Parts: sequence; structure tokens; C-alpha cells
Amino acid sequence: MPAIKISALPARLVRMVEDVRKKEDRLALLLSLVIGALVGLVVVAFILLTGRLSALMYPAGGAGWRRILVPTLGSLLTGYLLFKYFPLARGSGIPQTRAALFIHDGRISLRSVMGKFVCCVISLATGIPLGREGPAIYMGSGLASVIAQRLGLSRLQVRALIPVGGAAALAAAFNTPIAAVLFALEEIVGDLHAPILGSTVLASATSWLVLHLVLGDNPLFHVPGYHLVSAAELGAYVVLGIVGGLSSVAFVKLLLWMRARFAKLPRASLWIQPVAGGLTVGIFGFFVPQVLGVGYDQIERVLNGDVVLKVVIMLAVLKIICTSVAYASGNAGGIFGPSLFIGSMVGAAVGAVAHLLFPASTAGPGAYALVGMGAAFAGIIRTPFTSVIMIFEVTRDYTIIVPLMIANLIAYYVSQKLQKVPIYEALAHQDGLHLPTRPYGTRREVLRVNTAIREAPQSLNPEMKIGDAAERVKDSVLESWPVADDLGLVGMVRTRHIAAAMDQGRQEMTVARLMQIARRSDGQRYAELPHVHNDQPLSRALARMRDTGHKVLPVVSRANARIMLGVVTFADILKAYGVEHAEQLDYREHPDL
Amino acid sequence: MKTPAIQAAPVPSATLSEFIATFAVILAAIVGLLLFDTGLATVDVRQRKIFAAREFRAGQELTTKGSIEQGIEHLRAASTLDAENSTYGVGLAQAILADQRSTDAEQMLLPLLERSPNDGAANLAMARVLEKEGRIEEAKSYYHRAIYGAWPRGADQNRTVARFELIDLLARTNAKQELLSELLPMQEDSTNSAAQRKRIAHLFVVAGSPSRAVTIYRDVLRKDSRDADAYVGLAEAALSLGDFTTARADLLAAQKLVPADSSAIQGRIVLTDSVTALDPTQRGLSLPEQYRRSKNLLRMTLASARSCLALQAPQVAAALDSATLQVSSANAVGQAQSIEQTLSLAEQLWGLRRSRCAPERDSGALALIHLRIAQ
Repeated sequence: MPAIKISALPARLVRMVEDVRKKEDRLALLLSLVIGALVGLVVVAFILLTGRLSALMYPAGGAGWRRILVPTLGSLLTGYLLFKYFPLARGSGIPQTRAALFIHDGRISLRSVMGKFVCCVISLATGIPLGREGPAIYMGSGLASVIAQRLGLSRLQVRALIPVGGAAALAAAFNTPIAAVLFALEEIVGDLHAPILGSTVLASATSWLVLHLVLGDNPLFHVPGYHLVSAAELGAYVVLGIVGGLSSVAFVKLLLWMRARFAKLPRASLWIQPVAGGLTVGIFGFFVPQVLGVGYDQIERVLNGDVVLKVVIMLAVLKIICTSVAYASGNAGGIFGPSLFIGSMVGAAVGAVAHLLFPASTAGPGAYALVGMGAAFAGIIRTPFTSVIMIFEVTRDYTIIVPLMIANLIAYYVSQKLQKVPIYEALAHQDGLHLPTRPYGTRREVLRVNTAIREAPQSLNPEMKIGDAAERVKDSVLESWPVADDLGLVGMVRTRHIAAAMDQGRQEMTVARLMQIARRSDGQRYAELPHVHNDQPLSRALARMRDTGHKVLPVVSRANARIMLGVVTFADILKAYGVEHAEQLDYREHPDL
Repeated sequence: MKTPAIQAAPVPSATLSEFIATFAVILAAIVGLLLFDTGLATVDVRQRKIFAAREFRAGQELTTKGSIEQGIEHLRAASTLDAENSTYGVGLAQAILADQRSTDAEQMLLPLLERSPNDGAANLAMARVLEKEGRIEEAKSYYHRAIYGAWPRGADQNRTVARFELIDLLARTNAKQELLSELLPMQEDSTNSAAQRKRIAHLFVVAGSPSRAVTIYRDVLRKDSRDADAYVGLAEAALSLGDFTTARADLLAAQKLVPADSSAIQGRIVLTDSVTALDPTQRGLSLPEQYRRSKNLLRMTLASARSCLALQAPQVAAALDSATLQVSSANAVGQAQSIEQTLSLAEQLWGLRRSRCAPERDSGALALIHLRIAQ
């Protein structure tokens, strides 16, 4: 990066920049805006380029041979580029983004970002039926990472910007700013309460604005206003949830199985492997042109009720096969778009059957296609909350939200039961990466304070003399002791402070006075009334012990913090976790240790 | 705004100059990308619009030729390529409607109308869809929105088309008052062509206001005295007014103007003659002739009523019985009184028939005589 001669710049500008550079909040604000704008523009360029090039490569109504040749040659070219120059640009981009976040301290190189852009443009423009959203997320995260590295930000700061860039990219790629934020937090970070929420929202909104500035206010799909025709129709949506879940599992299992088979092929064949995907797509595309590309036009048609049962079933099956082969063979592109395609076709098929059987009490197949998209997304990507919001944002149709939620949850449940490991985790596992997981399946048991609580000792009175207090605590192992007056608990006093006072001959001093002295001695660490509640996790009690230095904490009522229900000790917490208290282990009895 | 913590190191390790240089590069990239994207988007939009227009034309041609399914394919492509253009959406909906898929057409139009509720073409298409579905009241409402809606091109012409379609609907559903209220604003519209004015005049007859029709036809004939259709229309209005003689004279005038193609007119003349021959209220008839004609009228009315009323409700059966009795009774107490009774019974029976049978089943001559009697 060429350095700039500071003296040549206006002093006011330099002061302003220096101010931003030194103040964390301002820097975060500026970076969110800059990343949002830059990523938004890159993703818009990506969308436009792939769209324009694909229209040239395999135009509607073009010769059949082009539909075979173009994907084959495209995959050959990307295969070579991926093998020779950009090995990290293979596949979706989401596992790679997570790997960058959790393994490489958020570091992604500019070369990888550019490689992803070039390879995905070639891949998607030549009709490989993969999505643009996963790669966009990688590009967005990558750009954020590159900027952060160039600015010399700390490791934590670089990491924190990964989901910010990812959200900005998804907001532009999918035209879904809210879902983008949720996805970045739910899937990439794995924590909806992550402290980067504000930056992520800001970047996502900026990116979305850029998209609208350049491409106008168009939803991804124009959808008629569907609604629930009758309450009984929910039964059909339940069926859709089940079928959607099963289809998701079929897709994920097929993709993973094929990918495992390809992984066993000689490494030298890596550059030619994508051709298997390209050729498969080409052959199917020769007969059924709709399988080429991500297929958003076809989705829109189905959403608008243009449904022929046999066709939508065939397209769902072909898309599952083509996407699985294309992805597994190592082409560049994601599975977001294909998930929506598969879901919409499956939904349309279920809807067509339901409407055939119960025409008076069910909506048209288009409504089911809409819900099917969400169901497949929840089943494949396993982000049920994001998928509901995403479908809502993609279609801007609120009326179908209840059936959507029901079908989503059922698909998610079915998928979870039949395919334990979510797709992105499974893909990472196949690559030998073990990234942090979200608590899938049953919620992890959280140990709470009530599992370690013990009866409180008789409290000391604030007016009690130190001599009497020392007498009371002398045989106890507790390192802190509760102090209470007539109205209840007033604080904790350390037994070592009592012992120290005794050593100094201050037997006549009151406990209250001793607590005042302790307050001065502890300084900022002193807590007026250190405590925990019965329902809090033990980890919270440990954290509070760390903050206050007390190894004994009173457990108090939530209704009145001066009512003590018991105490919890450090030893009790360790015991509750199943860890022996180190102090109980006598090393002299174990000379071999 | 307090943005959240991107944690840790308060000051980045890049020097101030590196910091500024990085942002300068980013800014340059943003500007460059913005220009690139805007240019590409402009090309993209232009291309899409060209393709969409091509698809739309192809779709329209195919639909016109009757290849509706293929036409729909092209129209759908046009609509997808340029979703903002409501003309394509409306065209697609109309083709889908022509394919007898009115529910799908309605689903297509709803988002268009949601986006621009004032779109005249979309409202007109929706009115057609609803009319097809038999939702007449809703259809009327959409016709009104189409008439008063926005039309980017050919507003007057399109509004007239919408109004005529509404008028036709009202005429078909026998909503005479509404029909009249729609026709009145059009009566004095000088921009209407002679053909349109004749159509309006005919509809005035349907709406039960033949005198207005007469005014319009006369006006048309003032401008072109050789307009045979206007004479036929005038005759139709005269028949509705019960003036069979004038009607006959007008029909003869029309026949003179188109002697080569006068079979339809001749048919009407025959009808007029048969009405005149049947009419018991005609001036100058002797009492026995009046009595004969009234009895004949009752007989014809009874036959017509029987064909559709059959044995419906008890009051219908009773009316049919008393009419049968009246027809078969030969000795009347007094002829004048008997004529009155017969005509009254015939009128009552005709009223029943009209209220319970479809209007198209009305016999022409019979309807005209009863109309005359009612006047």
C-alpha cells in the first residue's frame, strides 16, 4: 500500500482521520458503512455479470448443443483455475468463511476473494446450477477481512468483521437485509446475541441501499398475494413440511455421498473433476433447459402458479441430482439458490396434488411453492428462523407466514432427525475441519446455582464485635461469611479479614467497620452486596466470584435481594461440575504424581 | 449512534498514512464499482426491456392466432424480464384468462393492482376475469376503476372500451337502472362515432328508454339519411314504444336502402306484421275481434308460460289453471268485460313468466304485445 504524505493533507482532515483511527466506536461505524457499500457494489457487479454473461452463453431458445458445451467448458475452465490458482474458491464459501473465522483468526486473502469472484462468475454464467449467495458471503467476509488487515486491526477486530462483511453480501445477493443479519449471526457466528449485531445491521442496511440504488426496488420474486384458504389447509402444509424435510435430507445425503466419492479420486484429477458436474448438467440441460443456472426465473413462474405436476416433480429431482454432482465435483457456487429451487418445485408438487384433491379448501400450487422454498431452506441450511424471515423478505408476502412457520419447523425437525450433522458442518468435516457447532438437537443441560446451593451459616450482625465474629467463624471452611441485620443481608465479609483484625488486636471493632475498611482495601473490586440467584447458571456464579474475589456467594431471592436462601461455594460448584476440589487431593499421598 | 464493540486494540497498527491510503483506495474502488455497476445495470435493463418487448410481441401474435399456450410462454417471459411493465403482466393475465384459467389470471393481476391500484388496463383485465367467474358486482366495481383509472396511452379510447364492456355486462344482467346511468353520460358525447352512437341508442332500448334511442337515431339519420342500420334501430325503438306502424315504416325505409341484403329486415317486418295482427289493443278493432285477439294472446302466453313454469309453485299452478279455464270458456258474460279479464290474466301470467324464466326465452312478438299492453 503506498504511503501518503501526511503533511500534504489538510490539517483538519488529518485530525478527523486520527480521531476515527483512535476511537473504537467511530472506527466501527465507519468500517460498517464502508464495508457495506463496497461489498454491496461488488455483489451487484457479481449479479449483473453472471446475469449478462449467462444470457449470452446459453440464451433462451438457443441451440441444444450450446447447453451441453457451455457448462462443460465452463466447468473445465473453472476447474483449472481452482486447481492452479484459487484452491480456496471451490464450493460454496460458507464453510470457508467459518474456517477463516474460527481457525485463521478471520484472515482471508484478497487473492481468494478475487478467485472466488472470477470462478463463480464463470461457473454460474455457464449454467452450473449452483447459487450465488454462498460465494457472495465469502467475498463479503473476505473483503471485510482484507480491509481490516490492511488497517492493521487486531486479531479480534478482524474476526469481528467477518460476519459484518458476510451480512452485507447476503443482503445484496438476496435482497434480504434482515435475514442477512440473522444468517450471519445464526450460521456464521453461531450466536444470535453476538456483540457485533449493530455493525452487522449497519453494513447490511448500507449494502441493501447500494443494491436498491443501482438495481431499483425489486423483490427477488414477484409473488401474488397468497393466503390460507381454510384452517384445514394447514394439514396440507404439514404434509409439505414432511415432504420438504425428506427432500432436504435426500439432497444433503446425496451431495455428501457424492463429495466423499470425488474426494477419493486421485489428487491429480482435481482440475478435471468439475467437468463431471458440468457434463452432467449439460446432458440434462440438453433435454430440460430449466436445470441450467440457478433457476430463479423458473421459481418465479412456479410461484405465479405456472405448475404442471409432472414437470415440477421432474425439475425437483433433476435439480437435486445436478446440484449434487456439480457441487460435489468441485465447481464454484453455493447451495442457497438450489435449495430454494428444490423447495419451490417440491412445494408446487405438493400444492398441485392438494389442490387437485381439495380444490375448494386449498390455495393454488404457487402458495405451496412459496412455503416449500422456506421448508427446504430450513431443512437443508438448518436455519429455521432465518428462513422464515428470508422468505418473507424475498417475496414481501406476509399473509402466508403461519403456514411457512409450520412447514419450516416440521422440515427442520425431519431433517434434523434423519441427517444429524448440518450440511455446512458436514462439508467442513469432509475437509478435515472441525468448526464450533451450534447446539443442534436437544438443548445442552445448563447447571444452575440451585444444584450447588447449601444452607447458609448463621449470619454475623454488623454491630457484632470482631472477637465474637472470629469465635463464630473459627471452625468453618467458608472463606467469606454473610453479614445481616434485622432487615436482611447487608454484605459479605472475608474470614481472613476477621483473622487479620484479630491479629492486630482489633477485637472490639465492629463487623460493619471491618466491612468499611475492606471496601477501601478492595477498591473497584468491592461489591456492596455480592450475590447470585437460584436460577442463574453456575458459570455466572463463577464469573461473579472472579469479579468480587469471594469464594462464597449468598444466593438471594429475586423478589428481595436481602433475603438469603443459602450460599454457594467454589468447592460446591466444582463438585456440581463433577470436578474434584484440588485442595482435597493430598499430593503427599500420591508420590507418583 | 453507538455502534457495538468491535473489540480490543484501541488503535490500529497501521500508520496514519497507511490508514488514509487504505481508505483512499477503498473510496476509489467504491467510485469505480459504482460507475461500473451503474453502466452494467443500464445495459442490463435496456437488454431486458428489448427482450421483454420481443417476447411480448411474439406472445401477442401467438395468442391472436389462437396458440394460447405458446403465447402464454412468451408473455410470461416478457413479464419476468420486465416485471415493472404492467402491460406485460396484464397481457399475460388476459392470455391466461383466454386459456380459461380465470383463477390464475386473478392471481396474476392482484399484485399488479396492489402495486398500482389506479392502473386502468389492470383494472379492466380484472373486471373481465371477475365477469368470467360470475362475480358480477365485483366486476362492475373494477370496470368503474378502469373507466376512471390511469391509461398511459389512448386514455379516451380505452375508457370507452371499458365503459362499453360494462354496459354490455349491465345489459346482459338486465340491470336496467345501472345501464341507464352508464348510458346517460355517453348520450351527448360528440366524440363517439356513428357506429358507437347507434350502439348506445340500441342499449337505451335495452335499458327501457326507447325515446332516448329515437333521439339518437334521428340525429344519426340527420347526418346520414342513407344509414339503413339507423332506420332498423329506429324501428326497434318504435316497437319498444308500442308504435308498430312507425316501426313498420322505418323497416321499409331500411329495406329500400339495402334491397340486396334485406332478409333480416324482412324478418323484422314479418315480426311487426304479426305483432300488429295479434295486438288486441289496436285502435279501430271490433269487439269480437278484440275478444278473439285477447283470447289468442292468452293462449300464446299460457303456452309460453307452461314451457318454462310447468308445475313450479302452487300460485303458479293456480294461475295456469285459471288461464286454461279462461281459454277454454266459450261463453263470456259480456265481451268488453271478458276482454279486460282475459288481458289482465294474460298480463299476470306474463309477469309470472318474466319473473321466473330467463329473458332470452321470451318470444319476440309476445313480448312486444305485452310491452304495449303494459304501456
